[in-house]
Amino acid sequence: MTAQTHKNALQGPLGWGLLVIAGVVLLVSLGYAISQIMAHGHTSFNTSSVLPWGQPIATYVFFALASSGLGLLAALPLVFGFKQYYPVAKRCIFLAFALLISGMSVLALELGHVFRMLWVIPMNLQVQSAMFWMGLFYALDLIFLLWKFSKLQGGHWDSKTAKQVGIASFIGVLLASGNLALIFGMMSMRPFWFDALMPVYFYITAITSAIAVLLFLTYLAYGFKRERMPSALQALLTGALPKLFATSIGLTLLFILVRAITGLYSNNPEISIVWTDYLFDSGVYIAALLIGLLLPFVVLLSKLRNGIGIQVLAALLVTFAIFAERFYFVVGGQVVPLFKGTWVPNLISYSPSATEWSLTVFGFSLCLVLYLLGEKFLHLGDMPSHIANKSAQPGTAEAAA
Amino acid sequence: MKLFQTLINRRRFLQSSAAVGASAGAVATGITGLKGFSPVSEARAQAPRGETTITKNVCAQCPARCGIDVYTTDGRVHAIYGTSDNPISNGKLCPKGHLGSYFLYDPDRFKGPMKRTNPNKGRDEDPGFVPISWEEALDTVAERLNDLRRRGESHRFSMFYGRGWGSSDAGIQYPFGELYGTPNAAIGHSSMCADGSKKAKQATDGNSSYSSYDYRNANYLLIIGASFLEAFRPYNNVMQMWGHMRTKSPKTRVTTVDVRMSPTMAASDRALYIKPGTDGAFALAIAHVILTEGLWDREFVGDFTNPNRQFVGGRRIPANSFNEKWVHGLADWWNEELLERTPEWAEEITGINAEDIRRTAIEFGSTRPAVALFERGATGHSNGTYNGMAIHSLNALVGSLFAEGGIGYQVAPSYGALPVEVSDYMDDYAKNGAWKDQPRIDMKGTDRWPMVGNMMQECAINHLNADPYTLDTAMFYYTNPIWSAPNPQVWEEALKNVFIIDTSPFPGETAMYADIVLPDCTYLERTQDVPTYPFEGWPMAELRTPAVEPIHDTKMYGDVIIELGKRIDGPMGDYYRELGSVENYIRHLAAGFADDPGDNGVDGFESWKEKGVWYKKPYKWRQIRGEFYEWDGQRYSRQMSAEEVQEHLLKTPSGKFEVRSGFLEEHAAYIEEELGIPRERAGLVQWVAPVYTGGDGDLHFITPKTPLHAEGRGANIPQQMMVHQPIVGGRNTVYLEVHPETAKARGINNGDRVRISSDIGSIEAECRFVASHRPDTLVLPFEYGHWAQGRWAKGRGPGNSSEITANISDPISGLASYYTGKVKLERA
Amino acid sequence: MAKWGMVIDLDKCTGCQACTTACSMENNTLPGETWQDVLYYNAGEYPSGQMKWLPRPCMQCENPSCVHVCPTRATYKDPDAGGIVFVDWNKCIGCKYCMIACPYGVRFYADEKPLIEPDIRDVFPSDNAQLWSPPYQNPEEDWRRGIGIQPKGVVSKCTFCYHKVKHAPEGIADLDEDNPDVKEYVPACVRTCAPKARYFGDLDNPESQVNQLIGDKHGVRLKDHTGNKPQVYYLGAGAGVPAFTPADKENNA
Repeated sequence: MTAQTHKNALQGPLGWGLLVIAGVVLLVSLGYAISQIMAHGHTSFNTSSVLPWGQPIATYVFFALASSGLGLLAALPLVFGFKQYYPVAKRCIFLAFALLISGMSVLALELGHVFRMLWVIPMNLQVQSAMFWMGLFYALDLIFLLWKFSKLQGGHWDSKTAKQVGIASFIGVLLASGNLALIFGMMSMRPFWFDALMPVYFYITAITSAIAVLLFLTYLAYGFKRERMPSALQALLTGALPKLFATSIGLTLLFILVRAITGLYSNNPEISIVWTDYLFDSGVYIAALLIGLLLPFVVLLSKLRNGIGIQVLAALLVTFAIFAERFYFVVGGQVVPLFKGTWVPNLISYSPSATEWSLTVFGFSLCLVLYLLGEKFLHLGDMPSHIANKSAQPGTAEAAA
Repeated sequence: MKLFQTLINRRRFLQSSAAVGASAGAVATGITGLKGFSPVSEARAQAPRGETTITKNVCAQCPARCGIDVYTTDGRVHAIYGTSDNPISNGKLCPKGHLGSYFLYDPDRFKGPMKRTNPNKGRDEDPGFVPISWEEALDTVAERLNDLRRRGESHRFSMFYGRGWGSSDAGIQYPFGELYGTPNAAIGHSSMCADGSKKAKQATDGNSSYSSYDYRNANYLLIIGASFLEAFRPYNNVMQMWGHMRTKSPKTRVTTVDVRMSPTMAASDRALYIKPGTDGAFALAIAHVILTEGLWDREFVGDFTNPNRQFVGGRRIPANSFNEKWVHGLADWWNEELLERTPEWAEEITGINAEDIRRTAIEFGSTRPAVALFERGATGHSNGTYNGMAIHSLNALVGSLFAEGGIGYQVAPSYGALPVEVSDYMDDYAKNGAWKDQPRIDMKGTDRWPMVGNMMQECAINHLNADPYTLDTAMFYYTNPIWSAPNPQVWEEALKNVFIIDTSPFPGETAMYADIVLPDCTYLERTQDVPTYPFEGWPMAELRTPAVEPIHDTKMYGDVIIELGKRIDGPMGDYYRELGSVENYIRHLAAGFADDPGDNGVDGFESWKEKGVWYKKPYKWRQIRGEFYEWDGQRYSRQMSAEEVQEHLLKTPSGKFEVRSGFLEEHAAYIEEELGIPRERAGLVQWVAPVYTGGDGDLHFITPKTPLHAEGRGANIPQQMMVHQPIVGGRNTVYLEVHPETAKARGINNGDRVRISSDIGSIEAECRFVASHRPDTLVLPFEYGHWAQGRWAKGRGPGNSSEITANISDPISGLASYYTGKVKLERA
Repeated sequence: MAKWGMVIDLDKCTGCQACTTACSMENNTLPGETWQDVLYYNAGEYPSGQMKWLPRPCMQCENPSCVHVCPTRATYKDPDAGGIVFVDWNKCIGCKYCMIACPYGVRFYADEKPLIEPDIRDVFPSDNAQLWSPPYQNPEEDWRRGIGIQPKGVVSKCTFCYHKVKHAPEGIADLDEDNPDVKEYVPACVRTCAPKARYFGDLDNPESQVNQLIGDKHGVRLKDHTGNKPQVYYLGAGAGVPAFTPADKENNA
């Protein structure tokens, strides 16, 4: 087969190859995680009673928010009429779904009793808990994503129902990720997290990570060759999207900066020490800030931003940076021991165990497998015909049957 | 959240959800299947259970003898609480007490008698134990003992014991020695325990004993080197009294003198840090101020014949100018010692500000009743007896001896007579055998150690040197000197060619050297009499009753002795056949209560078993304003003669409290030789500079006992290990506590691994900074460094502090100088 | 119904941790999983250094933040049980959000790495659904209130020894261990406290000794700014929690 028959590289042998690799990684990581959890329970985690939420939670937050970010991106064309984003709308919706499934799967393996959740939450309706609402809205989000995707898959880009589902989905995303933010932001006993603007921070970083993931996977879909892409997509990738990417990275940096300044300025050791002795004491965190966010931001501000290599690299760096940010955010809120006296005299140290890493790898590989299947069978590059035809170039007609 | 709260009637939800929870659990089980994720989770409510029985017992984790209620349901012990009507525990316990069930169910306990198959002994040698029957085990030992006796070498059999409880265990050993023919039948561990304070009291008031205290009525405590709120006997009751003293009216004021920060120091009104080994200098300065300020108790001590006369620092008083009442030698003491012992002099030696010494002295001297108490912190040094005497003399100066709110001694219980007389069962060998000419293996009572009670720490080196002779067979009960003795490396070598019988239920280091293991029952499985340690003075005896039948094939030590005795040739066997068993023995003891029923109505074995304790209040004697009275059943009314006081209370040659000790003067030549004190001064309570051990180290090394330390038997209790050293968060290990300046001067950071070395060895530990310790003093609570003792204890760091502690003892008391070592510190 | 409260007098507490071990044996918690902990704090320097300590049970807050966050109502405050906060082990999904939300750090997820090895859960393996089965297990069990030995995957906490307290006579003002009629109903930590630094009684009854002590000795609640309103009051000097400073920074002279 040649590249000519498949514009989308992933529908060819590359897709199969990647699928096999991702599938193997998925099976190995999941198998390892499950065998460890079955044999040892959560003793195979490095979390503890003093630091109960670790990397699996951070992984979940990463996926859930990246999913939300993609949902918000999809809303640009589908709800707000930013037409130039149509070329990625379907991919965004599908990816949001894939990422959310991955995140939820990781979370499920982190919980003590995942299946019990299915009946106790609806039976008990604890409306005081942000986690209840988060669960509810992410469940709705998932349904809306599927619904909307089925609309798009059916080619209903602008039908009334599609619009309504789109709006509902958009609101669901805002509520879901907002409630996820409130899970942390409402915890006054964890001052590092306690922040009324936490939802805004989550929205911004959600979009940042969403663009990063989208950029990388979109390039992957076309074999990192822009000329294979539909022109509308090319236009987006050399126009609005990198600018939006730069903007969201900038806002992310701004938000982190403001949090860091207020945190460092604060006399409250439960905030300031987290910054001085945990975050800024970590090479990984500083690298995430400087190389993972600041560097891409500076480069994307320049004319270089339209280069494929630059965009792919920036996407990878930002993905890493936001993942690191999620980790340090989740762990950072817990490293100051609460009320432990000499028993825990220093910041609580935590690094993920092999099982926890395997859950993270499982999350990424599941997401990749779903995405590869989506690219292969569901024509994620679809866009409304008027967009596709507007800047008609030879061979831009999509392979839609 | 308030808003949400009103949205939902939560009571309704709670009720409905509970019902759903109960029914839906089974459903969830069906769904999950994955055991690891989500274990079978049927809704569980209270399961049917058998009846709970409560048996009376006595905690065995320290010598305090707290009466305990042991809760047993369906044959399993599941809770231990203090006995409410027990005068020591009063329903309370210390942190160790609750952990007793761990001892019973220690998975590493010996399950039955065993013999060794590997002839080689050492740390890394697997003993190769194989189970044998009790019959075979006892016959093997008896055969060996009979053989020794036939060869006329019975003195080469030695019985070492540590925590003896009463006449039905350690007490049985004494007649065994007399009947069998060995001077070594009862070599106690007291010289590695706290003989210093006993000897200091013997030298001053004639009682070779720990004291009883009337804390309830004391208004001032001066605590010197005693870890009052961590390890002072009886710890549980001491804490009860602490709660009382600190809230009663007037509140008891407390000054603590110690070499380190500790809960006692922290909780006191005044904490004074002292240089290790100099406690005597502090006490002498206190005495100096009490006298110069005129604060002494004239009714007890006496007074100048001319009331206008005073003690003036540096100035002698005429020899006959002071009319001594109950204190003997005061004028000499002042003239030959005290007059120069000013607070300024003491500041130079102790490091405590003269002003603090003076303030403390004035408070102590002007608050009645006041008690000065001390333990190993003050006495675990070459000058320990003199330190202790100086401190104890303060009690005399303020008239606290036998006074309300003061200090006294313990009266023994009214036990009945045994059915057998030792003298009726002695054969000719027992009476006149060659063993009669042999000294004890520890050389107690010889020219080498003329004044000591025991000298267990000397036995290993004496055996190695065959001086006075070598041991052939040694039996160990409740003691583990191969690990706990100072410089235990010598014991490891010495015991290699001795036939060892260990009786511990736990696989300690001594057991690893054992040729035969005769495992004892744990205390929850024993019948055992437990007369009290010095407590409030009035007589008291407790009884252990098994909560469960022995869960393994074990035998009480007392019964092991009886069974061995039965197997020894000659009339000795008849003695033990007559004695029968420990229970029979105890029934005879209890018969004594028939004529002297306890305050709680206990008048025999059955009622003793039911109540767990026999006691008779109040204390029989009391000193009131310088006169001694005896209790007549209603009040302290019958005044005692000087002779009676000497017989019962002040048992010194003079019949008074002696600040010039007749007991020491009897051994003046020995003291001159050993301590360099001119023999004419030997009897005086005086300052003697300590001789630090360990070589040229620059740091003092202190190894205190923590509240969780169950005398070496707690080392295999994970629950204990996780709360062992709260001061610096020591869990899983014990940290070396070090002043940050001291550490940093050696390039050591908080948490670093360090090496502590003396001239006999080195150990490693992790360190943690404690800025409130003395910079020249390292603190390492002793507990770990075991190379046996069970799966949790074995190999757990830090190293064993005994391994860097030289085997040097106070020549007078024989107390091993555990707290006098100097060491070097470096990064490991 | 009573509102059970505890008073801890720090002027009497000796920091011995008998409360800790009594609790751990009564409730069969894992080594190191100390529902009732004694926290030590060091400050100052020789020769004027200070050390202080405070015992820390669950505060059984009047307004418990842990309860609000639980998505399943597994953790709940039971007004019919004197306001004790329980975890229903049949409903807990092990999300651990309550552990995040508790300002006092008194919640435990025992399904964690062994805090000391060898792992005692392997030494006394479970013969039923619970995490481990020590031979000295307390026969009391009620999973709907988190009493007994927990199964895997759930959060556990201090129950004020509800399996004892529930037997208290109706309307009693104080559960005083020195009263032989009620000593079996007193929480383990209170019952064993040798210096009698702990008191347990009905906060709704103005006649109770706990209220008397709170009134006379100016009882305070720890971290009161959180608004959780503990039902545990502290008396005496030292009833405060020093700000956190990492120990390795503390003594950097």
